[in-house]
Amino acid sequence: MATPNGRKLLEVDHLVMHYKTKKGDVSAIEDVSFSLAQGESLGLVGESGCGKTSVAMSLMRLAADNARYLNGEIRLDGEDLLALSEEAMRKRRWKSIAMVFQGAMNSWNPVYTVGDQIEEAIDLHIEPRPTEKQIRERMSRLFEMVGLNPAMLDRYPHEFSGGMRQRAVIAMALSCDPRLIIADEPTTALDVIVQDQILKELKKIQEKLGMTLIYISHDIAVIAEVTDTIGVMYAGKLVEYGSTLEVFHRPKHPYSYLLLSSTPSITGPRRKLAPLEGEPANLLDPPSGCRFHPRCPFATEICVTDEPPLEDKVPGHKAACWHSDRVPVTIGVAV
Amino acid sequence: MLKYVAKRLIQGLLLLMLFLALLYILLDAQPGDISLQLSANPRLPPEAQEIVRERLGLDQPLLGRTVTYVLNFFQGDLGLSFTQYPRTVGSVILEKLPRTILLFLSATILAYYMGFALGKVMAWRRGKTVETGLTLGGVAAYTVFYPWFAILMLWFWGFQFGLFPLGKFIDVDEWTGAPMAANRVFMRMLISLGILGLVLGAVSLLAHRLPPERGEQVARYGPPLVLVAFLAFWWLSPLRSYVADIAHHTLLPVLTLASVQFAGVMLLTRASMLETLKEDYILTARAKGLPQRDIRNRHAARNALLPVVTSLVLALSFVIGGGILTEGIFSWPGIGGQLLDATLTEDIPLATGTLGVIGIIALVGHLISDVLYMYLDPRIRTS
Ligand SMILES: Nc1ncnc2c1ncn2[C@@H]1O[C@H](COP(=O)(O)OP(=O)(O)O)[C@@H](O)[C@H]1O
Ligand SMILES: [Mg+2]
Repeated sequence: MATPNGRKLLEVDHLVMHYKTKKGDVSAIEDVSFSLAQGESLGLVGESGCGKTSVAMSLMRLAADNARYLNGEIRLDGEDLLALSEEAMRKRRWKSIAMVFQGAMNSWNPVYTVGDQIEEAIDLHIEPRPTEKQIRERMSRLFEMVGLNPAMLDRYPHEFSGGMRQRAVIAMALSCDPRLIIADEPTTALDVIVQDQILKELKKIQEKLGMTLIYISHDIAVIAEVTDTIGVMYAGKLVEYGSTLEVFHRPKHPYSYLLLSSTPSITGPRRKLAPLEGEPANLLDPPSGCRFHPRCPFATEICVTDEPPLEDKVPGHKAACWHSDRVPVTIGVAV
Repeated sequence: MLKYVAKRLIQGLLLLMLFLALLYILLDAQPGDISLQLSANPRLPPEAQEIVRERLGLDQPLLGRTVTYVLNFFQGDLGLSFTQYPRTVGSVILEKLPRTILLFLSATILAYYMGFALGKVMAWRRGKTVETGLTLGGVAAYTVFYPWFAILMLWFWGFQFGLFPLGKFIDVDEWTGAPMAANRVFMRMLISLGILGLVLGAVSLLAHRLPPERGEQVARYGPPLVLVAFLAFWWLSPLRSYVADIAHHTLLPVLTLASVQFAGVMLLTRASMLETLKEDYILTARAKGLPQRDIRNRHAARNALLPVVTSLVLALSFVIGGGILTEGIFSWPGIGGQLLDATLTEDIPLATGTLGVIGIIALVGHLISDVLYMYLDPRIRTS
């Protein structure tokens, strides 16, 4: 669903970002484009080191000091975030884009109560400033929404379990009604059962509030539970992009296929795991042509020399591969 | 929390008893006692010497004497001074202790306040010229040989520039015709400083309790107003010139002592703050869109403070070593200098008493820093 004038909420356009290091440039984001309409949810998936966090941090404009934007735009409601002054960007953080970080368990400052830390964000961004009582009510509502007892607002982070802290982080992310929420591996540090509970909760909230969500995970099965759309990243590039169902059942990129088939499925029938061999590409010196070719079972001459464009293979389902038609259909992965 | 404090208090008392007993036994084990000193007097026959020993109880077994000493100490009876007979050790210490406390308290507060404020900015400005300069200066001040530094300060500010008196506590010439003894004036100063501290504390508490905008105003204008009122009070007081004389004498030793402590605090704060800045909650604070100042003060510095408070305990050991040196070099009539005198003149009761009181100071300091830490760190407070 696009906004009235046909514009999407978030448009990332040919974004290129490198980290300057002593050993050379790390090409962490290489010509990445995608867009997200209000209320949509997108999952970004890929092995560790593929640039997912770099994309997320760029949207917040909180990437490390050595990050250099060489090309592209990040437009939120049509406004290029990369062109904003630091002060203007500061005002948009949390109000326009909130984030649940990788390892969010440690996102809390140990010396203040959780309620005080949520209130800090509300104080800063909600205008006119609500009364103490209104803030309290708002926070209580948020806590109930994520399945926490509002009495816990007056407790310190160390009095929460890992899962509770994570729920509270989600409540804090929702506290200023952001246009967009980015969750970067929010459940990775938790045990499987808690992870599953929180995922379901998040999904429920997302649907209820019609929240726009970018969910990042290295685990494609987790993504499938939450999002409508999937973007697969490999070595700083977006290699496949399409609806979750499409990508799951008819992947058009060998990397997605291998990711899917190396993920054990609990609910679906047993199947042979096809291992994803080798290491992710070295981004200091990425492979020529298609960055995935050294690990790809279908690679041919052209993959070494020419870079495949990201293009529609089926309407609405994009992939960057010369041999999309050879990628098998996956079976038995439950969505 | 109260239970914890009570527990620490009882622990402290036991420790103090043990310390006093050990102190007594150690000083007793030194060669020579009072009778030998008296025997240097050729007119005292051996029988008289025995009588002295008997009357002083020195013929009693060591253990009994130790117990008596500790019990007496707790009742405030520290015995008589040999060299200042017939004054009691207690009265000698009571006269000198406030001066030492003033010296150390003001130097420590100054050092921690300044050290923390600068250390925090250094970490924030990592890699800038300010940071490099302060680090170099800090390391130099931290590693400097203290007695040399103190003498240098005295020579530079006192002798070369004549800005400060060359030691001592008052300028006797100024005090002819004074309405009261210097010590009484001094005690009044001390009390007024205590009140000042309390009022400043109350103001900052108030600033925290009030809603943000009002609180900020109170935090900004409150302390300067209180300070002005404090200075005005003494300015208008008839004791003005005497108070000024004491303050003038106090400034240089306080600054000297503070600058050495300050360097350590600053370097520690910097290191601690650099660690804190790597924490995830700093990233959260940035993501929340907090202004830089809030991220630095409210999130980073507040946590960086914890190890710095712990170091307060370490600073206490400085009270003994640095105390004797500073008071010696600045001819400051406090208990540090007193301890040195007592040791040199073999005034054993005075030396034991002084060391005992220093022990109490260390224990109290320890307790304060523990309670402060608990107040600052909810992880300890609530468990
Ligand atoms: N500050 C940085 N300086 C240099 N390289 C970095 C920096 N941050 C991340 N990288 C590199 O950029 C690549 C992408 O990292 P990241 O975005 O964290 O990936 P992901 O979140 O998918 O695991 C990795 O190769 C990583 O080593
Ligand atoms: Mg990551």
